[in-house]
Amino acid sequence: MRARRHLLTGLISALVVLFLWAPLVNAGINSFNRDILMAAWKGATLLWYRTALADTTVKAGLGQTITIGLATTGLSLALAVTGALWWRRATARGRRLFDLLTYLRIMMPEVVFAVALFLLFSKIGFPLGTLAVIIGHTVWNSAYAALIVQARVLTLDPALDDAAADLGASPWRVFRRVTIPGLLPGIAAAGLLAFTFSFDDVVTSYFLVGNQTAPLPVVLLSMIRFRITPEINAIGMMVMVFTVSLFGAAFLTVSRLGRGARRALSLPSLADQ
Amino acid sequence: MGPVQVRVAARGAGAVKGKVGRSIRAILALPTIGWVALFFAVPLVMVLVYSFATISLVTFNTTFGWTWSNYRQIFDHLYLDTFIRSVLLSVSATAGCLLLGFPLAYFISRQTPRRQRLLLVLVIVPFWTSFIVRTYAMENLLGPGGPVDHLARLLGFSQGLVLLYTPAAIGIGILYSYLPLMVLPIYVSLERIDAALLDAAWDLGALPRRAFWRVTVPLAAPGILVGCLIVGIPAMGEYVIPEVLGGGKTLMLGNVISEQFLSIGNAPFGSAIAVVLMLAMAAALFGLRRARKLEET
Repeated sequence: MRARRHLLTGLISALVVLFLWAPLVNAGINSFNRDILMAAWKGATLLWYRTALADTTVKAGLGQTITIGLATTGLSLALAVTGALWWRRATARGRRLFDLLTYLRIMMPEVVFAVALFLLFSKIGFPLGTLAVIIGHTVWNSAYAALIVQARVLTLDPALDDAAADLGASPWRVFRRVTIPGLLPGIAAAGLLAFTFSFDDVVTSYFLVGNQTAPLPVVLLSMIRFRITPEINAIGMMVMVFTVSLFGAAFLTVSRLGRGARRALSLPSLADQ
Repeated sequence: MGPVQVRVAARGAGAVKGKVGRSIRAILALPTIGWVALFFAVPLVMVLVYSFATISLVTFNTTFGWTWSNYRQIFDHLYLDTFIRSVLLSVSATAGCLLLGFPLAYFISRQTPRRQRLLLVLVIVPFWTSFIVRTYAMENLLGPGGPVDHLARLLGFSQGLVLLYTPAAIGIGILYSYLPLMVLPIYVSLERIDAALLDAAWDLGALPRRAFWRVTVPLAAPGILVGCLIVGIPAMGEYVIPEVLGGGKTLMLGNVISEQFLSIGNAPFGSAIAVVLMLAMAAALFGLRRARKLEET
């Protein structure tokens, strides 16, 4: 009876994994398909990749996405690190309130938050565009970053900071030589995630970009809405490879840097403060 | 100095720093608090205020006041359909995620650690793929001449099966995009279950089916609850999936909000719908807290 149930769950699992991959594999195959209607296989071509790479809207969109992503990452990390340093020594009550703000930002349906910010900006006359999108992305990206950096802060022993201060290091030196190295894996993972989330975002960008250069996902959304071309498959595949690598890097960073940072924090390195 | 003395000295230094340090530390919370207040709290309060205002669709003048007319309008026949469709689609997509996700999470949790890692990668990589790309890939799959259409013809349906631009397509799209969000928390709670508990149940004579329903499922309940919330709540306010797979009609609340703000310019009505979605989220946060309590006990 046990074996039979494992067979059944195994079968369902195989079908579910197939379901998760089928659309992506289909889009991947069609990105090389010569048939413009994508109805049948008419031979392999790199035409769609060439079209995509030559498309100026796509190129401008990619540049815009990267600008927004980098600025969002920097701002989110600044908020998350300062917040985590406060959180580290905050009272239980303070922590709970701070965490509530974090979870509210994560759980809020994005469309609600995006129109709210759209409403604020249009009423106070703040121009929509790149800066508006960066501000919006930072609101929810800093929440994810805060969770990751705070998780890291929990593993650090505050006595290390105190010991360094006691041995004569200035507060700035303690921060730079003890706190930051300890937080580094968290900062790296949070930064990579913030960039990837920002890179992937459609809704906040769509509402706040106004009539400035649209970031890539918004470009893709309007392409999908108005015409279907195999070019989108090619862009999709390139974006997929990029975001999967970024996420993978974020994932590996946590485990890799974890060991390195622990070594850097071991007591001998404190002696040369 | 021995380690104990270092600790004592350090604590002493901390106490001295405490007086000056407290105000410095408070400053550290300011960037986050300020950002959240300015760009999160203020806009949402504005939405709340606007949801009780009225707008003249001739002059576009907003009159602030306390009227429930925007909320009543949600339940007008024109928008009631959209409201019901949003609720039904998010509930059925969540149920679908649970039905497909639980067996998969269960299967993964019963494998050797090596195979668990491999299977988790297979679940996570599609989730790491760009959201818009995944939705587009689904459009390809469900469209005319796509694989689903082909398959239906092969199975003898001469008309084929074009699901694209129907509510069913939106449901499948949500199910597809959110499925990993259901699998992961359930897997985490299943993986934590002590195998000895199941052995004990069997030793005490429980049939596997009974042990499954009386031991495994209750222990996985927190994961199931978290999965249902992180799928169901964003699904209610989904914008991109109905926009792409529903063919740009105002099929869900997220699209109505967007239309009211960006095309029609009726911010008060759009705000009222936004407030309804916020209330759904508040209910979910409350549910999450209950889930955490459940986990603690």
